[in-house]
Amino acid sequence: MRRRVLRRVVVTGAGAICSLADSVEDLQAALQEGRSGLKPVELFATNGLGPQQAGEVRPFEPRTWLGDRNLRPVDRTARLLLAAAQQALDASGWTPERRKDFEVGLVLGTMYCSIHTISEFDRRNVQLGPSYASPFDFANSVINAAAGQAAIWHHLWGVNSTIAAGEASGLVALTTAADLIRGGRATAVLAGGAEELCHESYLAFHRAGRLGAQRPVPFDARRDGMALGEGAAILVLEEADAAAGRGAAVLAEVLGHGAAFDPTGGEGSARAMERAVRLALEDAGLRPEEIDAVSTGANGSIEEDRREALGIAAALGGHAAAVPVTAVKSMLGEALGASGALQAVAALGTLRDGVLPGIPDLECTDEGFPLPAVSAQSRPVAARRILITASGGGGHCCALVLGQG
Amino acid sequence: MNHRIVVTGLGLVTPIGAGRERVWEGLLAGRCGFSTVESFDTSRHPAHVGAEIKGFQPEPYVRKQDPAKLGRASRLAVAAARMAMEDAGLDPDALDPDRAGVAMGTTSGEPLEVERFDDLLLAGGEGEIGPELATVYPCHTIASHVAREMGTAGPNAMIPTACAAGNYAVAWAYDAIRAGRADLMLAGGADAFSRITYTGFSRLGAIAPDVCRPFDRNRKGMIPGEGAGVLVLERLDRALARGARIYAEVAGYGLSCDAHHMTASHPEGDGPARAMERALADAGLRPEDVSYVSAHGTGTPTNDKLETLAVCRVFGPSPRVPISSVKSMIGHTMGAASAIEAAVCSLAIHTGRIPPTANFLEPDPECALDCVPNEARELAVEVAMNNAYAFGGNNASVLFRRCEAVA
Repeated sequence: MRRRVLRRVVVTGAGAICSLADSVEDLQAALQEGRSGLKPVELFATNGLGPQQAGEVRPFEPRTWLGDRNLRPVDRTARLLLAAAQQALDASGWTPERRKDFEVGLVLGTMYCSIHTISEFDRRNVQLGPSYASPFDFANSVINAAAGQAAIWHHLWGVNSTIAAGEASGLVALTTAADLIRGGRATAVLAGGAEELCHESYLAFHRAGRLGAQRPVPFDARRDGMALGEGAAILVLEEADAAAGRGAAVLAEVLGHGAAFDPTGGEGSARAMERAVRLALEDAGLRPEEIDAVSTGANGSIEEDRREALGIAAALGGHAAAVPVTAVKSMLGEALGASGALQAVAALGTLRDGVLPGIPDLECTDEGFPLPAVSAQSRPVAARRILITASGGGGHCCALVLGQG
Repeated sequence: MNHRIVVTGLGLVTPIGAGRERVWEGLLAGRCGFSTVESFDTSRHPAHVGAEIKGFQPEPYVRKQDPAKLGRASRLAVAAARMAMEDAGLDPDALDPDRAGVAMGTTSGEPLEVERFDDLLLAGGEGEIGPELATVYPCHTIASHVAREMGTAGPNAMIPTACAAGNYAVAWAYDAIRAGRADLMLAGGADAFSRITYTGFSRLGAIAPDVCRPFDRNRKGMIPGEGAGVLVLERLDRALARGARIYAEVAGYGLSCDAHHMTASHPEGDGPARAMERALADAGLRPEDVSYVSAHGTGTPTNDKLETLAVCRVFGPSPRVPISSVKSMIGHTMGAASAIEAAVCSLAIHTGRIPPTANFLEPDPECALDCVPNEARELAVEVAMNNAYAFGGNNASVLFRRCEAVA
C-alpha cells in the first residue's frame, strides 16, 4: 500500500519553448488544436539525410526572455533552457528578490546537452590547432553545462543536478526533483529537460534508421519512425506547505512516480514499463481506474511504441480499454531529453482545461492494439489525474502521475 | 523508509592498476600512474603527460555483451562493477533484478565516439559515419551497459555532473535505497581518456608538465586521467543477514551549486562550504567528528587554494583533520574521481590507514592543511568526508562512517 509521504510536492509554475510555441499557454492550446510543429529543417544542411523535417524552434529569439545580457558564452541548448526557466520563474512568483533569500534548485534532464558544442570544439582543435579551440566552448562541453549556466544566469544556489536517461531524461529529472523535495533536501526545484536539434545527433539518428519517411503518427499501423524535435520545458516543483505559505497558485500535484529498467536491450521494455506504471500507481496510492488519461512517450517508432503501449496496458489491466490516451510527439517530434517535461507541460493543460490532445492523422492502429481509446482528434476528458510515461532507447522506463492542484 | 545503507563491495580500475587490493596497496605506497600520453598526439600542447590506463582488456568483465559494441568508459565501468560485485561476494544472477539498480556519473560519456565522428567528417567521409553518436556516445549508455551486464531492472540513472559526478551518483543511489525503491545499488563513475578533455584542460592552462602536486607551493596543475570506480551499496539489515563484509556506512551527503562561474571556483569557497555543511547536518555530525577528508585536490593553483579556504570555513582556521588527494597518484579521473575517492574513504575506515598526497615538496601558506605528505598514515578513521567539485559549480560532499552495528 501507499507509503505515507509527509511532504507533498506541487507544481507552482511552468515554462516551455519548442517548435510549436514559445509559451506554456500557446503550447497547450496548439496541442489541443492538433497543430504540428514539424517543418523542413533550416538550422543545418540536411541533404541526403532522410525526411528533413523536424520540430525546430524557429524563429528563436532568446532575448525575448533574456534581455540584453551577453549570450555569447551560452550555447543553443542552454539558451532554450534559460528561456524556459525564465518563464517558469516568472509564472511561479520566484522573483529575483525572493531567490536572494531562499535557495532554488535545478534538476535538468538532457540526452546530449550540446554534442554540437563538443564536436565543434574538437574539430577546431584537430583542423586548426588547440589555440583555436575556445576554453569557453570547453566549459560548455560538459553534459551539466546547461544546468550550470542556468544556475549562474538565474541565481539558483540550491541543489543542481543533471540526469541523462535518453528519451526519458526529462521525466526522470522531474521524479528526481520530486524525491529531493519529499526527502527534505530541497523546498523549491526547477525541473524538466532541454535538448537542441543539431547536425551531429540528426545524422546519427538518420544512420540508425530511426527517422521516419513520413510525419510521425504514434501507434498508427503505418508508422515508420520518429522525427526529431528540440526545446526546453521546466516545471517549478515545490513543497506543498511552502507553496501555500507564500500564497502560490498550485497548477498540479505530483502524486507519485515509478521507474524500472530493461536489462535485455529491447525485448523487456514492455515489462519494464509495466513495472514503472505499477510502481507509480502504488507510490500515488491509486488504483488503475483512478487514472483519467495517459500521455505516452510514443514517437512513431515501430517497436518502441508497441512495447510502451503493451507495458502501460498490462499495468492498467481492464482500465486500459477505456482510458483516453495521447502521444504529443506526433506534433512536437522526439525532443529527446526535453520530451518528458514537454509532456508534463501538456498534461498541466489537460488538467486545467479538461481537454486531451489527439494524435493527428491517426487512422488505424495495429491489430489487437491494447490502448484502444486513442483518437486523432483532441477531446474532452474529466481529467483529475493523468499518467505520463517515457521510455528511453537505453532501457529507462519512467512513469509519473500528476493530479489537479 | 530511512534504511541505513552500507558499502559492501568495491571495484576500481585506475591508472595504477585494477582491483581493490592492488589499487589500495598502490595508493598507500604512493605509486603514481603518470606517463607520456600515447593515445593521441600532444605535440601541439604545452603538456604531454597523462594518467592513461594501459593494456586494459574488457573481455574478462564484459561477458553478456559484445565488448566491441561498448565505448571505453562503459567497458571500464562494467569492469569496475563486476569487480565490486565479486568483492561483495554477490552473484549477479542471484540478485532480485527488480530490487537492484545502477547510478553512475561521468564527465564526458563516450567522447572517443565524437572524436571518430569528427575525424571522419573532416576527412570528407560523412558517408562512412554510422549511428554511433545515437547508439554508443550518449552518456546514459554507461549506466545501461552496467545494468545489462548485471541484469538489474531497478532504478537506473546516469548523472553527468562532470568532476563531482561519482559523488552525485552515490547520493542518488543512497536516496533510492532510503526511499525504499531498491535494496541494492551499484553506484560509481567512469570516464575515458580523450583528446577533447585533454585539449580543454590544456587550453585552460590547467595541466601540470610532469607530476601532480596538490597543496604544494609549486604545484603546476592537474593531470587528466581515466578510470572507473563502483561501490555496492546495500541496506544494512540485508548486508548483515547475508554476513557481508561491511567497509563503511554512508552517513549522509550534501549538494550545492556555486551559481558563480562555469569553470572557476567561487572566490570564497561558498558552494563547497555549503555542501560540506549540508552533508554534516544530514548525517547529524559535527566537523570535529570527521577523522579524514578526501580532497577534491586537483593540484591546480586555484583549486587547492580555494578548497583550503572552504575547508577552513567549515573546520576552522587551522584545521587539524588530515586531508589528502589521491589525484596526486592517479591523476584526475574526471567523473570516476569521486567514486574512486568514495572507495578510498570506505577503505580508510575499514583498514585504519589513510593514503598520502604524493609528490609533496614544499608547504604552501595558502594551503595550510595537514595533507598527509608523501607517507600513508595509520589512523582510526571513524568518519570520512569525500569532497568533489565540478564545472558548472556542482559541489557534492558525501560522508562515510564506521558501521557501528558490526564494529
